[in-house]
Amino acid sequence: MRRVLEVALGVALFATSAWATLGQKYDSVKADQQRMAGELRSQQFSNYTVHEISQPDGHLVREYVSPAGVVFGVVWDGPTMPNLSQLLGPYFDQLQKAIPTSGPRRRGPLYVQTGALVVSSGGHLGSFHGRAYLINLIPTGLTEAVLR
Amino acid sequence: MNLRKGWTRGYGVFALLTLSVAGLVTLAACSGIPGGGSPISGSGGGGGSVNNTLAVAVNLGPNGNDINILFASVVVCVPGTSSCQTIPNVLVDTGSNGLRLIGSQVTLSLPVSTDDSGNPLGECQQFADTSFVWGSVNTADITLAGEVASSVPIQIISPSGFPLSSSASGCNTGGTERNTQALLGANGILGVGLLVQDCGNACATAPPPTNGYFTCIAQICNPATVALTSQVQNPVALFPQDNNGVLIKLPTVPSSGAATLSGSLIFGIGTQSNNALGTAKVYPTTPGGDFTVTYQSTAYTQSFIDSGSNAFFFLDTPGSGLPTCAINAAFYCPAAASMFTVTASAGTSSSMVTFSIDNAQTLLNANPTFSAFINIGGPFAGAFDLGLPFFYGRPVFTAINGKTASGTMGPYWAF
Repeated sequence: MRRVLEVALGVALFATSAWATLGQKYDSVKADQQRMAGELRSQQFSNYTVHEISQPDGHLVREYVSPAGVVFGVVWDGPTMPNLSQLLGPYFDQLQKAIPTSGPRRRGPLYVQTGALVVSSGGHLGSFHGRAYLINLIPTGLTEAVLR
Repeated sequence: MNLRKGWTRGYGVFALLTLSVAGLVTLAACSGIPGGGSPISGSGGGGGSVNNTLAVAVNLGPNGNDINILFASVVVCVPGTSSCQTIPNVLVDTGSNGLRLIGSQVTLSLPVSTDDSGNPLGECQQFADTSFVWGSVNTADITLAGEVASSVPIQIISPSGFPLSSSASGCNTGGTERNTQALLGANGILGVGLLVQDCGNACATAPPPTNGYFTCIAQICNPATVALTSQVQNPVALFPQDNNGVLIKLPTVPSSGAATLSGSLIFGIGTQSNNALGTAKVYPTTPGGDFTVTYQSTAYTQSFIDSGSNAFFFLDTPGSGLPTCAINAAFYCPAAASMFTVTASAGTSSSMVTFSIDNAQTLLNANPTFSAFINIGGPFAGAFDLGLPFFYGRPVFTAINGKTASGTMGPYWAF
């Protein structure tokens, strides 16, 4: 019973997600695009596909999908912060736990590498941008440099 | 482990600190500055010009553990009255716009902004590091040196009695809520950046995805659009004079650091004899406030200058060749000081910028009570963030969007 509930919650969270989530199967582009009233552009390369959803107010998210259909990286850009907890899914918690708490506090952009997860998030009021990716899911022959 | 001494002043000391008491004061200045004249170019600080120089300082801050944070005292008043309060230890931030104060530090009763139906306005402000602040929008007169901005929308962070961030759909997504002096590391943030409003059109047409404004009815806060003039405002833009931007002047810092620094936040650009551009080059930014920094032939077009960032943040370990610190991966810890030369460019201006990055851990361990370091950096892929160390020994002008400053329309930086 408990297991069933957890699965149902997982589906519900995914359904409310604005975009597909890092590390998950990519299967809801059209629904996401309609929900966000954004414009979707997809571009296929030899070993990955980029889906870009842009909104009239300047928010933009690009998802990088492997040939296996898994989101291995996301890039964001816009006048305000996106909902990173939705974009990163369970990796958002992993990120929070990895933010250093000893020594003087870093103020400014965030850069965290923890396990296979790398998150770089920066900017200032009026312009926020960043990227997150899973090193172990980057298709063979690519590097994180494709995440632009 | 003497080596780690500097790093142990991290988060453990909060409870030991004496909080600065924000006392109630009554200032005649709050109801208007006598003799506040129009800008008179070249007239000097006197002769009828308003005192446009606010003292600022870099120190360990209210928590006693900050590095490279610029603080000032801010006077807020109930609009149109002489009921005022001085709030010390407010972070001076060119990377944001508008004044935010920790609610528990404000003893004045400042009127809460409402929507057309009289429901109070809330605001959720997400920062790039996934932390956020939530609170009410209130109105205050703000006095900075001799300058007064009247009836300015500001944010009061987590005031008592106001709905919690959990009442605001989409606000609390799991990052750190900086709703106390200890968590913010300051009593507030004075945003004197490139823009007039803190959100702008992104909050005036449709609520953005995670943050922005809310209207609160019976402890439930729903996303709302708010007109530009009702959004939290950069107070500088609302001064009657000296309102086109700011100049920050700080002394340079030796390579071993400095205990404290004293400097000036000067209001206006080219409006008085103390804020002329002089030989500074003008770097117009994108509408959002970015310019280009080029390193080894790669142009990073979303780079920026930010007094609220406490180091040079750029590249990652493979890109910079600098390892991060073993104890705190937020900063670089190279074996020896490493020099970086980059080109900053925008419009027709271009110049070389050189900075050095040394071992943050070694520097802090050598002088655990120092608060200013010119040579500390950390990783950040995709752009260069020229933080407060960039300001040390280098006057930096920040011109506000839509205002003409010394013949050029903001937003721009000049240095």
